[in-house]
Amino acid sequence: MNHLVLGYVGLVIGVIVTKKSMVWRVGQVGSVLLMLPATVLVNMNMTISNVSYMMTSDFVSLGLTVLSIWLLPLMLLASQQHMVSESLIYQRVFVGCQVFLTGALVLAFMASDLLLFYIAFESTLLPTLMLITRWGAQKERYQAGTYFMFFTLVGSLPLLICLIGQYQMVGSLALDLSYEGVFQLSYLVNFWWVGCILAFLVKLPLYGVHLWLPKAHVEAPIAGSMVLAGVLLKLGGYGMMRVSLMWGATAMLSSEVFLALALWGIVVMGGICLRQTDLKSLIAYSSVGHMALVVGGVLTGVAWGYNGAMVLMIAHGLVSSCLFCLANLWYERSSTRNLSGSRGLIMIFPLISLGWFLMSLMNMALPPAINLFGELVAMVALYNWSPYSIVYMSLGAVLTAAYSLYLFGMSQWGNTMKNYKNLYTITSREYLLTTLHLVPAIYLIFYLGLMF
Amino acid sequence: MNAIRTFRRTFVGGYMKIFDEGWGKAKQRMKTAIKPGPGFDVGWNNPNMPLNNYDIVIIGGGVMGWSTAYWLMHKVPRKARGKIGLNVLVVEKDPSYTRASTVLSVGSIRQQFTLPENINMSMFSSHFIRNIREYLSVYEDDPPDVQFNPQGYLFLATAEGAEQLKQAHDTQVALGAKVRLFTKRQIEVKFPWLNTDGIELGNYGMENEGWFDPWLLLMALKKKAISLGVNHCHGEVTDLVVEAKPGVVEGRLCKRITHVKVKMPNSIQYQNVKAGHIINTAGPWAQDIAKMIGIGQEDPMGLDWELQAPLPVEPRKRFVYVFHCPQGPGLDCPMVVDPSGMYFRREGLAGNYLCGKSPEEHEEPDAKHLEVDYDFFNETIWPKLANRVQAFEEIKLRMAWAGYYDYNTVDQNAIIGTHPIYDNLYLANGFSGHGIQQAPAVGRAVAELLLDGEFKTLDLTRFGFERFLRNEPIREKNIV
Repeated sequence: MNHLVLGYVGLVIGVIVTKKSMVWRVGQVGSVLLMLPATVLVNMNMTISNVSYMMTSDFVSLGLTVLSIWLLPLMLLASQQHMVSESLIYQRVFVGCQVFLTGALVLAFMASDLLLFYIAFESTLLPTLMLITRWGAQKERYQAGTYFMFFTLVGSLPLLICLIGQYQMVGSLALDLSYEGVFQLSYLVNFWWVGCILAFLVKLPLYGVHLWLPKAHVEAPIAGSMVLAGVLLKLGGYGMMRVSLMWGATAMLSSEVFLALALWGIVVMGGICLRQTDLKSLIAYSSVGHMALVVGGVLTGVAWGYNGAMVLMIAHGLVSSCLFCLANLWYERSSTRNLSGSRGLIMIFPLISLGWFLMSLMNMALPPAINLFGELVAMVALYNWSPYSIVYMSLGAVLTAAYSLYLFGMSQWGNTMKNYKNLYTITSREYLLTTLHLVPAIYLIFYLGLMF
Repeated sequence: MNAIRTFRRTFVGGYMKIFDEGWGKAKQRMKTAIKPGPGFDVGWNNPNMPLNNYDIVIIGGGVMGWSTAYWLMHKVPRKARGKIGLNVLVVEKDPSYTRASTVLSVGSIRQQFTLPENINMSMFSSHFIRNIREYLSVYEDDPPDVQFNPQGYLFLATAEGAEQLKQAHDTQVALGAKVRLFTKRQIEVKFPWLNTDGIELGNYGMENEGWFDPWLLLMALKKKAISLGVNHCHGEVTDLVVEAKPGVVEGRLCKRITHVKVKMPNSIQYQNVKAGHIINTAGPWAQDIAKMIGIGQEDPMGLDWELQAPLPVEPRKRFVYVFHCPQGPGLDCPMVVDPSGMYFRREGLAGNYLCGKSPEEHEEPDAKHLEVDYDFFNETIWPKLANRVQAFEEIKLRMAWAGYYDYNTVDQNAIIGTHPIYDNLYLANGFSGHGIQQAPAVGRAVAELLLDGEFKTLDLTRFGFERFLRNEPIREKNIV
């Protein structure tokens, strides 16, 4: 599996040296070709790579690795329209950023050593920052980049300290050696665990530290939004799973605090989404709500919670990324993301309305979509932790359904805007983009092996 | 000592100097080799350069441009400004406004038009000017004041024109304008200094008509708009970049303006501003902007026949003369409009008067420069002045200036609306001399058209660009 990361290194070099007409082709075709070695991973057993001792994969990392590899060609496909007029060097940097980001993500998900994971985790920060601050749309993107960077950095400094502390206590940070957990019985081990988990809670994000997410998602270009919502948030979930297993159940004493915040977050984010006027902002806040359920699932500590969180992460990655693509599709034509300025789209673009429809339904966890299975499994784990959590979860589910329908209804139905006369048809590139999001989402409905 | 001196002489004075020279030359060579533009930073950041992406770009920073910018931000709730896609950029190529129509205008406002839309626009504008403190006050700054003198307009009509004047009066009164008809005898009583030979009827505006300072209005709008978050830059729009994609209709392409090339002053640096909507408020030079995207040119493929209709705005020079007359009409002199088209009004309190006249078609002055033709005053205007007011036989011409009308050559009325082909291009041009008094209303109308998709308060669809395609000009009879 090391060759997978080397593949991305080669792709970055390829993007830098190819001639102008081939830059995007190299990026897209190369990233599609790099999915072939990813199929080797699909055996769901824990494998230790025979190429490098640093890479492993088990069922937790498999899904997310394939998701991040899958999303790279989709990101390049989505952003080629608005990058057409930029100068060559900026196009190279743009494509190179995304390829490097995906390479770092693959390294992060398949790292067998927690310190390698940390290095890859931090190195995803810089390309994302470059994407947001250079190619974002509004001038608020500078503030968005600052929020994103500082939230993540402040969260991840304790992670570094606690990882090194763990190394001192245990002697090794390798993942396959440390399923036992640090065997200490004092309550102080809890603080080590909180320090580790803070970075991931900021990344997920948990409700109290979520301020960076709406800003970063809204101001990022389409590729940035896709990778942020699709994969980078899942880094937090994945990291939480790994680190919690490491410290053990005794360390997770304060998990109830974060669980409470997460449960409240589901409800509050549902309410906030119903008040949004910006299309992208609505999808960004819905990401916070879904990820709050992931936090809940992971922090219960039981296997069902982990399973539910995993499936929810994969499902949300595909659905959220597709919704951002659809919102960007409209934004490129009308230069507005305002919900009241984009109504009645079903009359203008009927077929892409099917994409909106299916993705909105999957967003609100309609069966048989995998979002439902993830939510259901995580909810069962949370009910097992405390019966009273059913109040928050059901309220959250109702509000999720409400804002998903609100999103679909406000954008697709209603009186069509009269001042748009010259909207060009949906290109096959955009249909391909939507299809490539829908096909895995629908295929996964039938692949229950993902969970059980 | 000697060693240190030698060291300094050889190292600092010698090698470092050679290095600095060589490095300086290398930097110069790099700068000239790299073509300036948005792709490379030449090493010096022009602080005036706009960002590369705005939602609305307003071309032209005159009163129309700033009024539109103000109303766009005004319509958006405070917490959403700049957040839901309302970044506005106003591009002005001459912030000192040496040739702009706004500041060179006489600054009059009247409701005495014949078209209902014109009357309604002026009525709203006078309401706006009267309540300018509520509209345009900036926190912690002096409240704005445009020195509105509501002295009124007196339109005089001969026997032939009396019927038309009466019909116009009826239209105006029906819409709520406060105007009153005066017979010849009543004029003689009210304005004894006026010579009523040949005059049959007069229409006098009792309220909301008069004159104000257009510079103050422009600055008030600009300050308030900037305080609401409008960005502006000093630059010239040199090109508009269009993208054309296949649309729903077979054989026709959907065209959109995607970028505006803004060139920095005294430089070859430019910024490729990605624009969502573009508002053309370039005044007399509106046709130059329209020509950049082929409006008015033969379409070689013959598919977009709407492009053959040009934007019929051209700069026409008009003169304004200021003279002093010690025995003149005095403080009660309104803006008097002679049946021949000559107008005069009081200026200030020291016995100065302002006058002018729109020249006939055959005596149109050269619009390439703003030099004043004093012969026009001596031969054409002064005899009429002396005829109308006895005291104006002895006057001293104090000063004069010239300004441009953004003259609509088809029907001398505003062009407000979208273009049929490029539907992210909004037009607010061709006001032909009565723009300053319609500016607040036009700004609000364009803002409504852009944000809501249709006119909400005043319906100005008759002023749209489509009338040139259908060959249905709207004529206004009361043109000064």
